[in-house]
Amino acid sequence: MNRLSTTLGRLSFESPITVASGTFGTEYFDFYDQSVLGAYVSKTITFEAKAGNPPPRLYETEAGLINSIGLQNPGIEVFVREHLPALIDKLSIPLIVSFSGSSVTEFVRMLEMLESWDGIAGYEVNVSCPNVEKEGIAFGTDPDMVFDLTSKLNAVTKRELIIKLSPNVSDIATIAQAAEAGGASSLALINTLFGMAIDWQTGKARIKRGIGGYSGTGIKPVALALTYKAAQAVKIPILAMGGIYTWQDALEFFYAGASMIALGTANFVNPLAPVDVLNGLGYYLEQKDMRLSDIIGSVSF
Amino acid sequence: MKTYNILPLLRMEHLKGGYFVLWIEDADMASQCRPGMFFELKANLPGLFKPISVYSVSDSRIAFMIKNVGSGTNALSELREGDLLQVIGPLGTSFPIFEHQSTVLVSGGVGYPPLAFLKTRLPHSCQVSFLHGGACADDVFPADECYTVDGSAGIKAFVTEGVLSLITRQRIDIVYSCGPLAMLQALNRICKDNCIKHFASLEAYMACGVGVCHGCAVPVGKHGQYQRVCVEGPVFDADILNWELM
Repeated sequence: MNRLSTTLGRLSFESPITVASGTFGTEYFDFYDQSVLGAYVSKTITFEAKAGNPPPRLYETEAGLINSIGLQNPGIEVFVREHLPALIDKLSIPLIVSFSGSSVTEFVRMLEMLESWDGIAGYEVNVSCPNVEKEGIAFGTDPDMVFDLTSKLNAVTKRELIIKLSPNVSDIATIAQAAEAGGASSLALINTLFGMAIDWQTGKARIKRGIGGYSGTGIKPVALALTYKAAQAVKIPILAMGGIYTWQDALEFFYAGASMIALGTANFVNPLAPVDVLNGLGYYLEQKDMRLSDIIGSVSF
Repeated sequence: MKTYNILPLLRMEHLKGGYFVLWIEDADMASQCRPGMFFELKANLPGLFKPISVYSVSDSRIAFMIKNVGSGTNALSELREGDLLQVIGPLGTSFPIFEHQSTVLVSGGVGYPPLAFLKTRLPHSCQVSFLHGGACADDVFPADECYTVDGSAGIKAFVTEGVLSLITRQRIDIVYSCGPLAMLQALNRICKDNCIKHFASLEAYMACGVGVCHGCAVPVGKHGQYQRVCVEGPVFDADILNWELM
């Protein structure tokens, strides 16, 4: 009996652990077998290539990491021609392609291009990157835009359609409901929080663009609260992330209502984090003689 | 191929000025190390790994010379023999090596280790001068010529002034460098003006060290492009870097 199996909308997974877009590559499969993960989420691609933001792009804080990568990627044409076939070839687990556009038309065109490829299990629609101006977060903070975008994408695909939400909104429940109403089959949350650090000795910002995206340990309580809030607001399943480093962290998110969790910054801190979390969860559930599905959303007060 | 290991600290030596040298032992990793390559190292702390250049390799032993500059390197400095160390590597590019070159190694401060390692691997057909500079005597390590900013050891000058002086005395074909950005920029101008081939090893903040996060990007070329210090570097042909945007 696999106590850890889970589902996310139209997909079933052997492992409830995946990875946060942009924090992971097949490079990590040098360290462990990919079957540890339920799915592989690729780094967000945009329509045009993006060179990324000027450095410094990273700063490690007391309790996490600030990044300002700026969605550096080769653009969708190069991605489907050069990267996607190799990725599909390499993966034995479901592939979820993350993408972001600067207009609804661009999102739809990208989805149509991806639809012609076998070997993609689902999409993560990134409407929440804090580090680019036109893409992503401009969409993710407006419920009407989220509804419009989701319904147009839903009309194009039968694959898993995950809308990735930003924590940088006043009411995540409204955005989550807009995505659900538009036909999203699941939600992913949270993307990074806005974050900043300054060298007090010189007054210089640690990140070239000043404000970046904050991830890691420090954002876990925020991510947990937003996971709970979103889970209360919608019926579609939630892929939760934000400061999850250990199997105990993961359990908290399952109690809050997540059906699956993703590890992001944890991969940088512990290259074997997915292995450790999977083993820890498996052992715990066995000791308690429970299944993961017994825990999901069962937080008590 | 890079590997991830948890290894006991074989030996620790504390030097002056917050510098220390730590040794690990792993035959596979040691056999793949070439000068310029680095490892991601971490003591038992919740934070990120720190990218550290290889200082020396003998048989299956790998040494790293590190300066204690923050919480990550401080945790490494507090390790004792037998304590466990998390290690990913070897990573990145190495200095390209050519025969029959008049070669100058230029390092500043904690940029010393990769060049000290390179010196041991250069062919006998190369004529080699090693110039090293630092802020003060604490930053000085064995080299052919040493420079300090405050004059507390060696010659009171910037190491780049030593390079300029060397150019007046002999032909230089190739410069290998590692050190603070200001030093590398000055050195790059000198090499450009004198048509000297220049390979520089760069330092950058890193999150993953393996090419995934794109956090360690440096500007290259004239069209706003970036390359990763952890994969395309740390050793770069100085001609491809955009020094004005660094």
